[in-house]
Amino acid sequence: MAGGVCIADCQYWETYLGMHCRLHELRNRERISVSAASKYLSNLVYSYKGMGLSMGTMICGWDKTGPAVFYVDSDGTRLKGDLFSVGSGSTFAYGVLDQGYHWDLSDEEAQELGRRSIYAAGHRDAFSGNTCNLYHVKEDGWKFIGNYDISKMHYEGPGNVPGAPGGGYGYDLRVEGRSSANPPPVAATA
Amino acid sequence: MTQPVQQAFNPYTENGGTILAIAGADFSVIAGDTRQSEGYSIQTRYAPKVFRLTDKATLAVNGFAADGNMFVKKVRQRLEWYRHAHAKDMPIRAIARLIQTMLYARRFFPYYVYNILGGIEEDGTGAVYSFDPVGSYEREACRAAGAAQSLVQPFLDNQIYFKNQTPAPGTSFPKHLPLFTVLPLVIDSFTSATERHIEVGDGLEIYVVLAKNSDSLQGLQAIGGIQEVTANTDGERTFVIRRDLKKD
Amino acid sequence: MSIMDHNGGSVIAMVGKDCVAIASDLRLGNQALGISSNFQRIFPVTDRIYLGLPGLATDVTTLHERLRFRLNMYTIKEEREIEPETFAHLVSSTLYEHRFGPYFIEPVMAGLSKTPSGGVKPFIAATDLIGCLNFAKDFVVAGTASTKLYGVAEGLWEPGLEPEDLFETISQTLMNAVDRDAFSGWGCIVHVITKDKVITRTLKARMD
Repeated sequence: MAGGVCIADCQYWETYLGMHCRLHELRNRERISVSAASKYLSNLVYSYKGMGLSMGTMICGWDKTGPAVFYVDSDGTRLKGDLFSVGSGSTFAYGVLDQGYHWDLSDEEAQELGRRSIYAAGHRDAFSGNTCNLYHVKEDGWKFIGNYDISKMHYEGPGNVPGAPGGGYGYDLRVEGRSSANPPPVAATA
Repeated sequence: MTQPVQQAFNPYTENGGTILAIAGADFSVIAGDTRQSEGYSIQTRYAPKVFRLTDKATLAVNGFAADGNMFVKKVRQRLEWYRHAHAKDMPIRAIARLIQTMLYARRFFPYYVYNILGGIEEDGTGAVYSFDPVGSYEREACRAAGAAQSLVQPFLDNQIYFKNQTPAPGTSFPKHLPLFTVLPLVIDSFTSATERHIEVGDGLEIYVVLAKNSDSLQGLQAIGGIQEVTANTDGERTFVIRRDLKKD
Repeated sequence: MSIMDHNGGSVIAMVGKDCVAIASDLRLGNQALGISSNFQRIFPVTDRIYLGLPGLATDVTTLHERLRFRLNMYTIKEEREIEPETFAHLVSSTLYEHRFGPYFIEPVMAGLSKTPSGGVKPFIAATDLIGCLNFAKDFVVAGTASTKLYGVAEGLWEPGLEPEDLFETISQTLMNAVDRDAFSGWGCIVHVITKDKVITRTLKARMD
């Protein structure tokens, strides 16, 4: 799950949602569905409508129906979809997300697309940046993939990770070959 | 005809001042200036903003002084109830979560206060938790808040986190700084803030919370004018260092 | 949001021992959107004077052109290079002419002035957007990260820095200040002016 806008609202209610998901598990001997979890949150924020809560969230998970992503915000909007981005830099992320998305992305391709999208937002948007956390949710639960420094991704790339092309996302392609200080890589001689 | 005039009561004031906390490996430093102002007037040159909660937790509050004092009072009351119920002090990570729920309970009429909680974690490490007025919080190694936050925080990024610095080849920067590097940085931060910000000055109170059997103890007791505020010397120990700041 | 913050950007100048330094970030933005990471807002005025123009980008260009014109007129009439003190007053009076419809710029300048004995004396100055001069002896700052620059500079600067130490001090001050400012950053440039040369370096800074 991810959130933006008013940090306290997101932090508090996402913790609260986590508690209730755990209670559901204890009461029903079964994990809550993504749909139910997201609806729990959307009904909750809807009950506060007009009072100034400010949240934009994405609830991602895997249940009996397979993988699911829900967008829930403090207006009470709840949308099911397969591609979302939230926050002040969301438009920048959508730009990369839309051009790179396929319905049948491999695990590594999906991770790289997510990383590259957040890099774009962190780079262009004044209010986004610093580092990016990447999680992957599959049938057996979520897995933390890594924490990536956005400036490091700009200059050197995310490091040796599956799916990444190698090299920086933003620096070399802008300056390489433009001066003798930054020569283009020497072409492999036959 | 005269137009109707909207009347409004503003329940908040901004009382200036700055607070700051830094966590070490086995200690925590929590500091605040003692000036309290309203607009261009100084209300008092000595109004503490840093308060000892337990032997291992100290809280600094900054923003609207009335809310701050009331908030500290209510946190202390909750900690006392906890002591009566469980016969021990509340651990600092629990105090941090308590403060979040207390602040968020007032989401629609907030305490107009920035809180920084410093102390010793149950595993003996130094801890700093910082909060916004409605309760979002985070554990960090260092944080400044208040009127001169924008002056002090980038300086701390540079000197505590070594941001924008490259270690000499084959070396690395320390994860935690020793107490005798941290204390001069705290004093320099406040003298700098006093120089450039009108709402900061008069006096400085630095609380040092030491973990059980901390190595920093010997040197600390040599500091002039230091005062211990903990009664028993076998557990965590808290000390106060007071310094003058410029009064102009 | 203020017009002064529309494009973002910050400048700082510092005095050293027989040298001065002036530095700025390279961001040009449109509110939160970053547009360029190579926007030069520091300009050479003479071999020994540099001028930084933080504020509204359109006025950066216009004011620079206007000052270039007035400077050329001065140089032709006087048949000599302008001194930093004189240039500061030229900037000030140019801005004050637009007292009630100002250029949204807070200029910062740094230079070396000649002494009667043939040596050089470091000079820095800054003005507000209507030309009120501030001749500081240590450092001057302006732009969207000005409060942050004040805090770090007050902590790092000391009197009598040699050119290489001054470079390090101004670079660290600028980079750590702009990293805490959403509207400044995206690269930095530093000029250190000494008696016989100007050292210009572009810094590898955070790009987020």
